Amino acid sequence: MAEIIMPKMGDAMTEGKVVRWYKKPGEAVKKGEPVLEIETDKVNLDLEAEQDGTIAEVAAQEGQVIPVGGRLAMISAPGEKPAGVGPRPSAATAAEGGGATQKIAAEGGGATQGGGAAQQRRVTDKKDSIKHTTGEYAEAIEMKAPRIDRTAPVSAPLRVVEGGRRRSSPLARKMAREMGVSLDAIEGSGPSGRIIAKDVKAVEGSRPRLPGQPGAPVLHEQQIPLSAMRRTIAKRLAESTGPIPHFYLTADYDVTNLMSLRQQMNEIVKISVNDFVIKAAALALRHHPNVNASWGDEAITQHGEIHIGVAVSTPEGLITPVVRNADQKSVADIAAEVRALAEKVKNRKLRPEEYQGSTFTISNLGAWGIEEFTAIINPPNVAILAIGTAAPQPVVVDRQIVVRDRMKVTMSCDHRVVDGAAGAEYLRTLRQYLEQPVRLIL
Amino acid sequence: MSEKSYRDAIREAMIEEMDRDATVLIMGEDIGVYEGTFRITAGMLKKYGPKRVIDTPIAEAGMAGTAVGMAMLGLRPIVEMMTMNFAFVAADQILNHAAKVRYFSGGQVDVPVVIRGPQGAGVQLSAQHSQTFESFYGHFPGLTVAAPATPADAKGLLKSALRGRDPVIFLESAALYGMKGEVPDDSDFTVPFGESRVARDGNDVTIVSYSRMLQVSLTAAERMSKEEGIECEVIDLRTLRPLDLVPAYASVAKTHRCVVVQEQWKPFGAAAEIAASITENVFDDLDAPVERVAGEDVPMPYARNLELLATPHEEQVINAVKRVMYKS
Repeated sequence: MAEIIMPKMGDAMTEGKVVRWYKKPGEAVKKGEPVLEIETDKVNLDLEAEQDGTIAEVAAQEGQVIPVGGRLAMISAPGEKPAGVGPRPSAATAAEGGGATQKIAAEGGGATQGGGAAQQRRVTDKKDSIKHTTGEYAEAIEMKAPRIDRTAPVSAPLRVVEGGRRRSSPLARKMAREMGVSLDAIEGSGPSGRIIAKDVKAVEGSRPRLPGQPGAPVLHEQQIPLSAMRRTIAKRLAESTGPIPHFYLTADYDVTNLMSLRQQMNEIVKISVNDFVIKAAALALRHHPNVNASWGDEAITQHGEIHIGVAVSTPEGLITPVVRNADQKSVADIAAEVRALAEKVKNRKLRPEEYQGSTFTISNLGAWGIEEFTAIINPPNVAILAIGTAAPQPVVVDRQIVVRDRMKVTMSCDHRVVDGAAGAEYLRTLRQYLEQPVRLIL
Repeated sequence: MSEKSYRDAIREAMIEEMDRDATVLIMGEDIGVYEGTFRITAGMLKKYGPKRVIDTPIAEAGMAGTAVGMAMLGLRPIVEMMTMNFAFVAADQILNHAAKVRYFSGGQVDVPVVIRGPQGAGVQLSAQHSQTFESFYGHFPGLTVAAPATPADAKGLLKSALRGRDPVIFLESAALYGMKGEVPDDSDFTVPFGESRVARDGNDVTIVSYSRMLQVSLTAAERMSKEEGIECEVIDLRTLRPLDLVPAYASVAKTHRCVVVQEQWKPFGAAAEIAASITENVFDDLDAPVERVAGEDVPMPYARNLELLATPHEEQVINAVKRVMYKS
């Protein structure tokens, strides 16, 4: 018997709503088939069956709000009696306890179960999971082998099915930190998918070379410990203007070439001005890792990768889907990705991993005809670009008044991390990319 | 250097120190006329007479209490427990007096008593007489706890105990009494407390152990080397209090994997203390959780086959080594 529970889709999520059931009690389901749709504060998503079987119980009605960890349905394995559903275990405890709710499944089932479907169990934390399984495993080993090794840790045969964080050994984390490699990109070969030193080393060996971008340096994640001066700057500025001391820099770019390039490219593939801006902003960040950063009480983290959040408005409010490694993607790829993400936002199908983890954000109100504006920083980013409309303007070139396309960009900076000159330098680099857009497609 | 058994090394240490220092004496059950249940005190009554080799009634609390008093007044008594299991009866004298008199006297009075005797499984003495006590005594400040793994360390550590100022719990492995090894001939040879040693060099996995399990770990390490090409570095702690884990930290920083081996029950055992300290001190160097190898969580069976099953053996150490290397 397997349980489907209300998953925790983000740190802030405490409950979710059942939107509709795709399956009725008694109906057969296949592993991977959607059973129901739920709605969270951010998205709607389908919950899938984790094993073949029959819906034994539907524990929530459409429209009902269920706490995280609460039971939604029970699936009985083929051949298993659908009856005998026990009392709901600790759903309330899971939600109240605030611990990460995980579903674990016993692996190596041959020893523990008589060849049936994987037994699943929901636990409120790791300690519980060990407590639950100690007895079973001890017995299983006893049956299988005459020699009992009770010293073997019982955590090894447990596998995270969903809702868990990525596991990694301390050494793997240290190595990844030192090599500037993101653990997100690494497949763990240890128990429970734990990323171990060997996996990090393998990635180092086969690390994809960044696409050739003339003059763009390679980034490494690094921690810059806070100096006394930096602490004082941070404290004083924060006192004066709230938790994030913003300041604003506006630049006026000549985007005539960009507009003409876009026109040419649009004959092949549809690309918006904003897609160019995403690419340009990401490439410029490569030269200014101090802007691709996050503030921490002990250190400033400069990220090893560039993930651009793109503000997308919805009737309910604003959400920022993330274009990962935007510096390494072509403008056309970025365009396609942004379109797909925007579509998901519209249908409320955006998944948490698609709107979390940005290192920099862009907000563009050009389509609304806004000439310039200031945006509020999206923590833990330390800067955001507010993009105005690109429009023809009379400008003086060689003492002649000519018409050029101009676009105003305002950068909001977190002064604890980015000082005025640093922000200005970033905007100067951005100018090179936006005013010589051929650099964006090299 | 000459080859000696663990038993003879202990006996020699006592004899050398009794020759050197007239305040050293020994008392215990059946140690004089009968020459000791494990023959550790063979010939000593004849050599030193009944004033320095004292046969006692079966009264461990009395022996320990008498020794504490003697030590407070300037003698250096050795109490031989026929097995350390019998010392439970004397626990109050040891834990509340020997361990605390210096503290209560504001540092004025030392209690240089040595309480020594065999412990551990492997000689079919059943549940009441096969226990190990390092985690029990290691818990209490005021005591020194030694658990030698070789004849040389048995001699060197016992001589340090008989020359020091502290109450020492000297835990001999009953199963090692017959083990032979090279022992320095120098009559001033001592091994200091709180100095672990690297018993075997290796780069792949660190095994931390002491007493008899050190020998099991070394055997496992040799097999791993031969059969799998895996080189284990084996650390011998020698004393559990003071506990010197610096060589273990250095080793784990190199190997990134650690297995701790103890003879008896896993819950609240010495291996738990050691594993936790390693995690606290070299967390970022670990590529796998620290593994503990320990005895079965049952009273020690008498039957030979069951006793073997209940005690850690090299196979378990090898399995743990493979697990921390993600090879199983």
